[in-house]
Amino acid sequence: MLGQLGFVVLAGIKFGVLYALAALGLVVVHKATKTVNFAHGAFAMLGAFASFLMVVSWQWPYWAAYVAIPLVIGLAAAAIELVILRRLRQADMFTVVIATVFLGIAISEGFRLTYNTELLAVPSLFSGPPFILAGVIVTRDTAWVIGGALLTALACIALFGYGRLGRGMRAMAANMRGAQLCGYSVDGVYMLAWFLGGVLAGATGVFIAPVTGVSVDLSIAIITAGFVAGVIGGFDSPRGAIVGGLLLGLAESLSAAYVSSAMKSCISFLLLFLVLMWRPQGLFPERSGRRV
Amino acid sequence: MSERRPDLAALLPALFISLCAAVGLGLDSYPQYVIAVAIISMLVGIALVVLVGLARCITLAAGSIMAIGAYASTLAVARLGVPYLVTLALALLAGGAGGWLIAFPGTRFRGHNLAMVTLVFQSVCIILIREATWLTGGAEGIHVPPPQVFGLAVTSDWSFLILIGGATALMTLLVTIMVRGPFGKNLQAVASNEIAAEAFGVSVRGYLTAAFVVSSAAVAFAGALLAPRVRILDPDSFGVLESIFMLAYPIVGGMHSVWGGLLGGGGLRILPELLRPVADYQELFFAALVILVMMFFPGGLAELIRRGAGLLGPHRERRLKSVAPPRALLEPHAVPVESGHRENELLVVECVDKHFEALHAVDAASLRVPAGAIHGLIGPNGAGKTSLFNIISGFLAADRGRVTLAGTSLLERRPRDRIGLGMTRTFQNVAIFGELSCLDNVIIGLGRNAVMHAVGVSLDHFADGADTQRARQQALAALDSVGLGGHPRSRAGSLSLGDQRRLEIARAIVSNPRLILLDEPVSGVADAEAEELRHLLLRINAERGVAMLVVEHNIPFVARLCRSLSVMGAGRVVAEGEPAHVISLPIVRQLYFGEQVTA
Repeated sequence: MLGQLGFVVLAGIKFGVLYALAALGLVVVHKATKTVNFAHGAFAMLGAFASFLMVVSWQWPYWAAYVAIPLVIGLAAAAIELVILRRLRQADMFTVVIATVFLGIAISEGFRLTYNTELLAVPSLFSGPPFILAGVIVTRDTAWVIGGALLTALACIALFGYGRLGRGMRAMAANMRGAQLCGYSVDGVYMLAWFLGGVLAGATGVFIAPVTGVSVDLSIAIITAGFVAGVIGGFDSPRGAIVGGLLLGLAESLSAAYVSSAMKSCISFLLLFLVLMWRPQGLFPERSGRRV
Repeated sequence: MSERRPDLAALLPALFISLCAAVGLGLDSYPQYVIAVAIISMLVGIALVVLVGLARCITLAAGSIMAIGAYASTLAVARLGVPYLVTLALALLAGGAGGWLIAFPGTRFRGHNLAMVTLVFQSVCIILIREATWLTGGAEGIHVPPPQVFGLAVTSDWSFLILIGGATALMTLLVTIMVRGPFGKNLQAVASNEIAAEAFGVSVRGYLTAAFVVSSAAVAFAGALLAPRVRILDPDSFGVLESIFMLAYPIVGGMHSVWGGLLGGGGLRILPELLRPVADYQELFFAALVILVMMFFPGGLAELIRRGAGLLGPHRERRLKSVAPPRALLEPHAVPVESGHRENELLVVECVDKHFEALHAVDAASLRVPAGAIHGLIGPNGAGKTSLFNIISGFLAADRGRVTLAGTSLLERRPRDRIGLGMTRTFQNVAIFGELSCLDNVIIGLGRNAVMHAVGVSLDHFADGADTQRARQQALAALDSVGLGGHPRSRAGSLSLGDQRRLEIARAIVSNPRLILLDEPVSGVADAEAEELRHLLLRINAERGVAMLVVEHNIPFVARLCRSLSVMGAGRVVAEGEPAHVISLPIVRQLYFGEQVTA
C-alpha cells in the first residue's frame, strides 16, 4: 500500500519536473517580453521529435541529443522571433499572442505531415537494474529524468537571477524605455529570451521523449500543463514555476491513481480555475516593487 | 428634427448572404452544400469579429460553443420533440449562457489568461460531451433528424440552402445593427482605453461579458443550423483545432468590420473544398496563411478590398449639417440638491487621507469648488495632487474623509457613476478612443452607456430615431464649441495632440456636467496652443456655467485661468486663495524654490 503510494508520488514528481521545465520556458519568455508563447508546446514536441531522429533514425550517441537539441530549438525560436514576431510586435501584444497560436499549429502540422504515425517510441538513456529506495522501485531512467530536468531548471534560474543576461531581461520587462536608456537593446534581449525559451522547450522535449513517446498531441499537452503550472506559481516567478509544475504533476498522478483517469484530465483545469479565481497572482508571486 | 437617414449600410451584409443563397439555388447540389456551410461560417466570422475584433479578446472556445448550439438543438428535437425553429432560439440561449460562463471568470483577466480560460472551457466541454454517452451518444455521435419547418421536412440541398440562408441573414442583420450602433462603438472604446471608458459610464466588465454573450449566442445559433446539415453530430468535429481555425476567420477577413468576418468565414470555409486534392496540407496552409496575413496585410481581406475600391473612386464622406442646438441642450444636469447643502458650494473635499504603506500621500486635505468657478490645484512633484485628483474622480479609494458633489457623497461610488451626477474629466495622457470618429467619441461622452441601454439604442441608431438624432446634435454642438465642428467623421487617432485635447474637452462637456476635472490640460502642448486652450476653457466656463478643477504644472497658465488656487505640499493643502496672492506667499515660494520662510 505504502509502496504503491510511493510509486504514484514518484511518477507525479517525474511528470512534475517535466511540467516545471515547460513552465519555466514560458515564464522566461513572458518575463522578458510580456508575451505568452502559445507555440511553446510545439517547440517541445519538435525537441522530442528531434531526439527520435537522432537516437533512433540516425543512431547518434544519446548524449549528443541532450546537447544539440536544446541549442537547435533555441536557435529556431530566436529565428522565429527575428523573422516573424519582431514585425508583429510593432502592432501589439494581442497580435503576437495570436500569431504564436498559429505558429504552434503550423509546427505540429508540419510534423504530422512528415511522420504520419500515431506514436514514435524513443528508448531510455539508462537500462541498468533499478534502485530500491525505502521500498520504492526507482528506475535509472526515472532518476535521470528527475535529476537532470531539475538541474537544468535550477541552472536556468541561476542564469536568470544572477547573470547580466537575466538582469537585462528583467529590466526590459519592468520598464522597456528605461532599459533601453541603460544600454540594453530591446531586439537583443527579446531574441535572447526566445532563445532561452527555445532551449528550455528543447530540453523539455528531450527529457519527455522516452517517457511519453512523440506524437502531435504532445504539443497541446505540454502547453496546457506548462501554462497551468506557470499560473499556479505566479506567472512571473521562475521558482514558482518549478513548485507549480511539481504540484500539478503530483495532483495528476494522485487523482489518476485514486479517483479516475477522467479526473486526471480535469484536475489541471480545476486547479487553473481555482488559482485564477482566488489567487490570480499565483501561490508564489514575485515580490512586486514599491507602487506609487 | 431633420429628416431621418436610416443606416442602410447595416442591411448590406444580410443582403449579401441572401444573394449568395439565391445564386446557390440555381446551382447543382454539391455547390449548394458548399454555399450553405460557407454561409454558416460567415455568421461565425461575424460573431467572432464582435469578440476578437471589437472587444479584442482571444477566444479558443468557438468550437465548443458551436457544439453547445448544435447539441442543444438536436437533443431538444430528438429527445423532447421540440419543433426545430424553436430549438434555434434554445441554441441562442444555450450559447449565450455558455458565453456568460466563460466571461464570468474570464473577464477578470485580459490577454493570455483569458485565452487560456477559453481553452479550458473548450476542453472541458468536449470531454463532457464525450463522457455523457447516455445523453449525447458519446464519441460515436448522434443522428440528427431532418428538421421539420412548418410541417415540411427539410432534406434536399436547396431546401437546406433556403433555411440556412434565411436564418443566417436574419441573425446577421441583428448582429450588424448592434455592431454599427452604440453597442459596437462602446466595445471599441473599452478595447481602446479601459480607464477612459469607465470614466464615461462604460462598464468594462459589463461590456466584455456582453461581447462574450452576444458572440457566443450567434455562434451557437450557427451550430444549430449546421447540425442537420452534417447529419451525424460528434464531439470531435468541434475540437480545439476547429476553434483555432475559427479564430482565423476574423484575422484573415479583417477584424474591424462585419464585412471582415463575413469574408474571412466564407472564404476560409470554401478554401478546403478547393484544396480537396491536397487535403492533407490544408491545416498547414491555413496556419501559414494566417501568419502571412498578420505580417503583411494586418487589416485582412476587408482592408484590401476597401483600399482597392478607394483607388477606383474618391472616398465620399457623408455630410453632416451642424445646426445650432436648441437652448434646452445646454442646460446643466438637473441633479437633486440634498438638504443641508449650502447653495454655492459644488465640490467639497474634507479631511481626505491616503496612505501608501509608509508614505502619507494625502494628509487631511480639504478644498472647495463653488458652482461655476475655475479652481486650480498646484504643487511640486510628489505633493499628492494626482492622488487627490484620483480620489475625487474615483480611481483611488481614500482611507478617510468626505468628498461630496452638490451634497451627494462620492467616495463610495464607482468612477462610472460620477458622470450621472454631473462630473466628468479629462486625462493627463490624452485618452481618446483612437479607432472611433470624433463624433462617436463625443457621443460616448453623453454617458448613457449602460449595456442594455446601448443594445436598445443600437436599434434606434439603425432607424436614425429621435434619440440618435438628438445625441448627434448635442455632440456636434460640443464639437463646434471646441472648434472641431469641421470634421466630425475623422478618426480621432489621426488628430494632432492639441486637437485630441480639444476632443477630450468636447467629450467632457457634452453631457452638460456641473464640474469638469482637468488633469494637466496643457502638458506637452506648445505655448501658443496652451493660450488658445485657456481661452477655450474660459469661454466654455462662461457659456455653460460649468465649474472646473484644474491640476496643472504650468503655473503661468493656471494663474491666468483660475480665479482661486489651492497649493499642496507633502500631502497637505498649505495655501488657498487668489492666484496672485497665493503665489506670492512665502510658504509657497519655499515649496517650489526652497526659499527659507522668514517669519
